[in-house]
Amino acid sequence: MTDINLDDLTHLQAINKKLTSGYHISEQDTLMWQELDQHIDAYRSLFNALGHDLQHDSRGFYYFGSDESTPNMGKISRAIALTIYILIENYANTGKDPMRALFDEVNDLELMQTLVQINKHLFDQLEIFSGSDLRKDVYLRMVRLGLAREVENGFMLQAPIYRYIDALMEVNEETYLGDDE
Amino acid sequence: MIPAKKLLNTLTEHWGVLELLFKRFKMADFSLKDVQNAIKQKQPSWSNERIYKETNRLLNQDIIIPLAKSSQLEINRAIADFATFLLQEEHLGLAQEISVLVDDLARLGNRLAKAGEIEDYDELRRFSRIMDDRVRKIMKLFAHNENAILNIVEQAKADNAVQSLQKRYQAVIEAFDEYIEPMLEMVDIRGDFHACFNTIEAQISAQIQQIDRLGKSYQDKRMLEQLRTRILEMHLVGRESLRKSADMLMPLREELRRNNLITRQAAKVLGLVRKNGVDNMLSAVQPNFVSDAQRFSLGQQRHIVAYMAGLVDFEHDEYQLPEHDDVPAYQSPYIPDYNDVKTQFRKRFKKASKKAQPLLSFLDESYPDLEADEMLFLYQKLISDGDLEISQSQEKVKIKIAQQHFSLYPFNSSIADDKKATEQ
Repeated sequence: MTDINLDDLTHLQAINKKLTSGYHISEQDTLMWQELDQHIDAYRSLFNALGHDLQHDSRGFYYFGSDESTPNMGKISRAIALTIYILIENYANTGKDPMRALFDEVNDLELMQTLVQINKHLFDQLEIFSGSDLRKDVYLRMVRLGLAREVENGFMLQAPIYRYIDALMEVNEETYLGDDE
Repeated sequence: MIPAKKLLNTLTEHWGVLELLFKRFKMADFSLKDVQNAIKQKQPSWSNERIYKETNRLLNQDIIIPLAKSSQLEINRAIADFATFLLQEEHLGLAQEISVLVDDLARLGNRLAKAGEIEDYDELRRFSRIMDDRVRKIMKLFAHNENAILNIVEQAKADNAVQSLQKRYQAVIEAFDEYIEPMLEMVDIRGDFHACFNTIEAQISAQIQQIDRLGKSYQDKRMLEQLRTRILEMHLVGRESLRKSADMLMPLREELRRNNLITRQAAKVLGLVRKNGVDNMLSAVQPNFVSDAQRFSLGQQRHIVAYMAGLVDFEHDEYQLPEHDDVPAYQSPYIPDYNDVKTQFRKRFKKASKKAQPLLSFLDESYPDLEADEMLFLYQKLISDGDLEISQSQEKVKIKIAQQHFSLYPFNSSIADDKKATEQ
């Protein structure tokens, strides 16, 4: 078993607090990121011993893996997923490079309103009826989960969004049929 | 015929103007006025007369030539080629250009072999020279195309995200499909290119051997050897250059492919979601998050297992039990707070300090309810307190407190004599 010297893990408290609330620590959280990066083995075995599953994604973020969500978190996650897929479609439709625009462009309220307007039918299912609903229910939650950060007049998405892109690639008819029973 | 040196002088003198014209109009035509404006821009101090004269000089030396049946002008093709070479603003050539040259090389190889057979050394020399020229041309094309691809890659990378995906990668895709792929096919170890070179090399080697054997026209041997080396080098350089070009283009092509894939998949998934509903479609794949609710519960089995296992193993490696000495001594709950005792002591002996008062009797009077050992505890605390003015008496005295008799050298409140002593 790895030797864990708790004195070395100076940001343990902050990291633990963030990770246990579902937050993704990405490179933008410089201090915690560096700390995790340096003592990854210690943190991993420590959190493992505490029943968490610390995941490191090479695209630049750490998070606690989980097999299931509480119903509420599940709903939030679906809303985020839908928003991101709609964003990708929207960028592609406007002739932008979707993967680049996703991380480089600021998502402002105007964009949110457009998204909700165009995809009213879909957002209605998640009880999101306006751009400000989208901001409140999805973007602010994304900030809390470390998927986005707030900038001057909107939000910028961060690397953990890749989890949703991975998920996107997994979707196919079978996932629906399997879920149907 | 214009002397080369004169031409070069004009070129150096007007390079700025030519570069400007070249960059602004690319390969298109321009008017006389444009040339004069360009000169004016580069040399603002020149008079109109001088500008007119210099424009004429460019025209007279055929650096700028008029288009047929038009008053428009263009840069002389040879000069333009030279400029593309200098500015590295090269455009990607065709794979066919190279393959035609290689075919020609094969033809020339056959002619060379034939000339060798009939021992026509003039012909041999001539073909060898032409082949040498072709090889140089091919090498130049390789270098040229490599630069062109570098430009394409740079452009694709530099363009901002605002530009459409289609446009951004068009050049890359074209370069890949029209140059890299056919070329790679050609230089493939089983391709025509390779076979052709093997034949040519064999033919030249045979010639060299024959010259060696016959001992005739020995000076041609060196030429043939050089040609052979050059062809081998060309083959190597070509492969290297193609590999480099492909390496540069590949990531962009991958990126485009991936982007297309993601876009397509997003459209498909959204289509499914529209048909089947958000929850039905996405529940199975949504990423899960650890949430606050889970933090306080050992929800999953692995949490419990890990927790139990962790209880056995987990220990702070510097964890230590406290030493016996560190445990604070038992204190009777009846003992009044020491600070109160101290304040009271101060109050009592502030004024009445003429005569030394025994400490113990003060305690006895103030706290008649205390047990003897408890009173001694307070007594001991008082005398070891540095803030208080006390002194020890020189004689042994018997004192009775709380129905117990003590004989000791008691401490008294004092001002006159504060000899420090610790023994009692």
